[in-house]
Amino acid sequence: MSARPWRFLRRVAAMSAKEVVHIRRDPRTLYIALAMPVIMLILLGFGFSFDVDHIPLCIADGDHSAAARELGRAIFGSQDFAAVDGDSVAAAETALRRGQAMAALVIPAGFERNLAPGRQSPVELLVDGSDGNLARHILGKVEAIVRTVSLRRAGGALSPPLSVKVYTLWNPAGRSPLFMVPGLVAFLLAIAAVLLTALTVAGEWERGSMEQLFASPIGRLEIVLGKLLPYLALGMVQLLLVITMGSTVFDVPIRGSLPLIFLAGLFFLSGMLGQGLFISVVARNQLVATQAGALSSLVPALILSGMLVPIENMPRILQAITIVVPARYLVHALRTLMLKGGGFSVIALDLGAMLAFTVAILALATLRFKRRLA
Amino acid sequence: MSDLAIEAHGLCRDFGAFRAVERVSFTVAAGEIFGYLGANGAGKSTTIRMLCGLLAPTAGTAHVAGFDVGREPEAVKSSIGYMSQKFSLYLDLPVRDNLDFFGGAYGLFGRSLASRMAEAVAECGLSGLADRITGTLSGGVRQRLALACAILHRPRVLFLDEPTACVDPLARRLFWRVIRKLAGEGTTIFVTTHYLDEAEHCGRIGLMAAGRLIALDTPAALKRTYVPGRVLLARGRQLALAASALRGQAGITAIEPFGAGLHLQVDAAQWDEARLTRALLDAGAREVSVEAGEPSLEDVFLAALGRAEQAA
Amino acid sequence: MPMIAACELERRFGATRALDRLSFSVERGELFGLLGADGAGKTTAIRALAGLIDLDAGRAEIDGRDPAAGGAAVRESLGLVPQQASLYPDLSVAENLRFFARLFCLPRQVFHERSARLLGIMRLGPFAKRRADALSGGMYKKLALACALLHRPEVLLLDEPTVGVDPVSRRELWALLHELVHEGMTVLLSTPYMDEAERCHRVALVHQGRLLLAGEPQALLADFAGTAGQQPSAPTFETLFLARLEQADGDPKVAKA
Repeated sequence: MSARPWRFLRRVAAMSAKEVVHIRRDPRTLYIALAMPVIMLILLGFGFSFDVDHIPLCIADGDHSAAARELGRAIFGSQDFAAVDGDSVAAAETALRRGQAMAALVIPAGFERNLAPGRQSPVELLVDGSDGNLARHILGKVEAIVRTVSLRRAGGALSPPLSVKVYTLWNPAGRSPLFMVPGLVAFLLAIAAVLLTALTVAGEWERGSMEQLFASPIGRLEIVLGKLLPYLALGMVQLLLVITMGSTVFDVPIRGSLPLIFLAGLFFLSGMLGQGLFISVVARNQLVATQAGALSSLVPALILSGMLVPIENMPRILQAITIVVPARYLVHALRTLMLKGGGFSVIALDLGAMLAFTVAILALATLRFKRRLA
Repeated sequence: MSDLAIEAHGLCRDFGAFRAVERVSFTVAAGEIFGYLGANGAGKSTTIRMLCGLLAPTAGTAHVAGFDVGREPEAVKSSIGYMSQKFSLYLDLPVRDNLDFFGGAYGLFGRSLASRMAEAVAECGLSGLADRITGTLSGGVRQRLALACAILHRPRVLFLDEPTACVDPLARRLFWRVIRKLAGEGTTIFVTTHYLDEAEHCGRIGLMAAGRLIALDTPAALKRTYVPGRVLLARGRQLALAASALRGQAGITAIEPFGAGLHLQVDAAQWDEARLTRALLDAGAREVSVEAGEPSLEDVFLAALGRAEQAA
Repeated sequence: MPMIAACELERRFGATRALDRLSFSVERGELFGLLGADGAGKTTAIRALAGLIDLDAGRAEIDGRDPAAGGAAVRESLGLVPQQASLYPDLSVAENLRFFARLFCLPRQVFHERSARLLGIMRLGPFAKRRADALSGGMYKKLALACALLHRPEVLLLDEPTVGVDPVSRRELWALLHELVHEGMTVLLSTPYMDEAERCHRVALVHQGRLLLAGEPQALLADFAGTAGQQPSAPTFETLFLARLEQADGDPKVAKA
């Protein structure tokens, strides 16, 4: 009586409905999905600190003097900074906005001339504030270098003739939550999504109910989709929760469009759920699934996403690896959308990458998911 | 020393408001093989645990190997052997190490342990397997190893909880040979089992249901008491329809489809093979042959349950 | 054409031969018993018949079709009650039933009628709201059977349905199976209890993946009684099995059903 596609949908619905009941009955799932993000957000919202080097910095030299060049040498002489092209203020700001540079030192015309005892010769430091830790770090380092050079130039005079004006873009107060929240969103969504789905299929294997499912008409794709959908919905609720908390409690701005933020979240979540499902299909028992799930979501989201350490600062090989880490794209998209503002075109690459990952991993999971017990 | 290996008087055990065991009383003589039957949740495991000194009775007393289970549980534990259903052998260790460990756990060391190990290995048919890894042995052999571990310290009473579940008939036969030998030497065996045909090995059987001991006697006596009628086995064609015609007739206690035939419990005074054959043919069956059968312990169990429920 | 056919089934797991050229067949409307101890290959055979495991060689057929390759169509006419827990412990009796009904796309009205009837037969009605993990062993198996019967399969496979079940439930289960067979269902079950052989129409005795013997229980016993010579008591399936085992150990001939 029912046509094939209709039956397909009904079975997907049956599977989803059952998952919803499981989710409601299992306090663990609800804890992981709802309570954990909130708790972790509160705990983590108060700063990490990492030392970084090879920070991309560009110098907009408006003076072209020997003093300016010496300052440049001093800055790039150590391992702390890496030179980025941009010799005008406009170019520097573009580089910052694009994320190519994390800071820009603007040396105004007349810099050398003003380097005389008793005079002030300010330089401007523009810093990308969306990563507050980094911003503070950069500030400290640049100030130190500038002081050293100025003391040398001024021949040991006590009051430094060089002063640094700092403009921290996009996060003027340098508040941690502002830059942490986008990264945290990726982190929390990743862990929850991967863990939850890793547990669900592995749980069926362990419990033995998979045998019964296989003996019934339900197909692999129906099982996969049916299991994913409730967790997708849950994940979107998580996203909403974290973003709402971020903006109300921590005053994180939302400068970009909200629908785009949710779209990015949706693509990312699908990918993470697919990853969890893949692990769960391969692992067959919950213990292994949990460990694999936690590891494969934690490490990339925390370390390889650019959340704590900028990707540009990583060794080449790790940078290459981050290409297949969806968290990297979400962090970038969210930072751009929330803090810098920006439209679809800016995050198009991110969306595309996450979508590609999702399709690939779901295909892999379905293929690997054999309808055999042995 | 009392001749009674196990004495239970009015044993009760409550878990909160739930009464798991209610006024269970029985005695088991030394060297007896005593079987304990009952569904899961009937209170068998709770009773065994009380007798082993693992659980204190809420009311009543019991003496095992002469010691009071409530007041001297440690003495009880050292005088008994216990083999649980899920025997806790270490699968990744060789046979020898398992015996070593359990011997040590019961306080056997050095030369006495070595000699006892040799004896137990011989008695349980484990010769030549001392260095094999336990996990590589078949279920039946592991069973005997668990038994060997349980008898190292020469317990006077051996508690076996479903010892032959999941074991092939050959291994089961060997196992029971060992048990009978131990009983012959004076060890008292208290065994619970789901295999009703195995319960026929036992000298006496206790039936437990809903926390109460509803029957206790030798298998033959139980059959006489609870299945007093005649058991008839009918074979033929179209028996199922004929059966429904017979159901409810006077003197027919029970009719059960059995494969292609029927098992009937009838009142011996009213029915015999000839009468049943005629009745079946009249009801439409064909090619009927009827012969006498033996009541099974399952029949006994169900009858006893029925009677207990009526009395309650 | 037999309703269930196992033809020269072969399957190895590592070094162990779980199925060793096992062959037997079950006609429509038969109550067939697969007897054997633990590890004999009963579960593997049933899984092969349900299309759940790959075979190294041989062919399994349900109503002439391959259960592994036959797709959803074959599975619509198959009911499976696996040995281990296969239901969802945190779902109630009613919820479990509803899930399986939806898997088979049963219309709601049909589902209500059938589940009411099944719950009545199994005497699970008062426990409809109870979680599956709070059921006793016997009730759990009855629920698993109910879930497998919802879609009125033509073939029912049960793996050790009577193990760990109290005698009352066990007897009810047998009565139910006889009734189903009487109504036309083909039922194959496995059991380690030799004394259950006589409750089946035909049996196959399996050991280490091989067929030891097959046929009607009464006929097999009669043969055995005839050949055995001195018997201390009436022959039982257990003694028959042991005798056959001792024979087979010296002479690994493969018997065909």
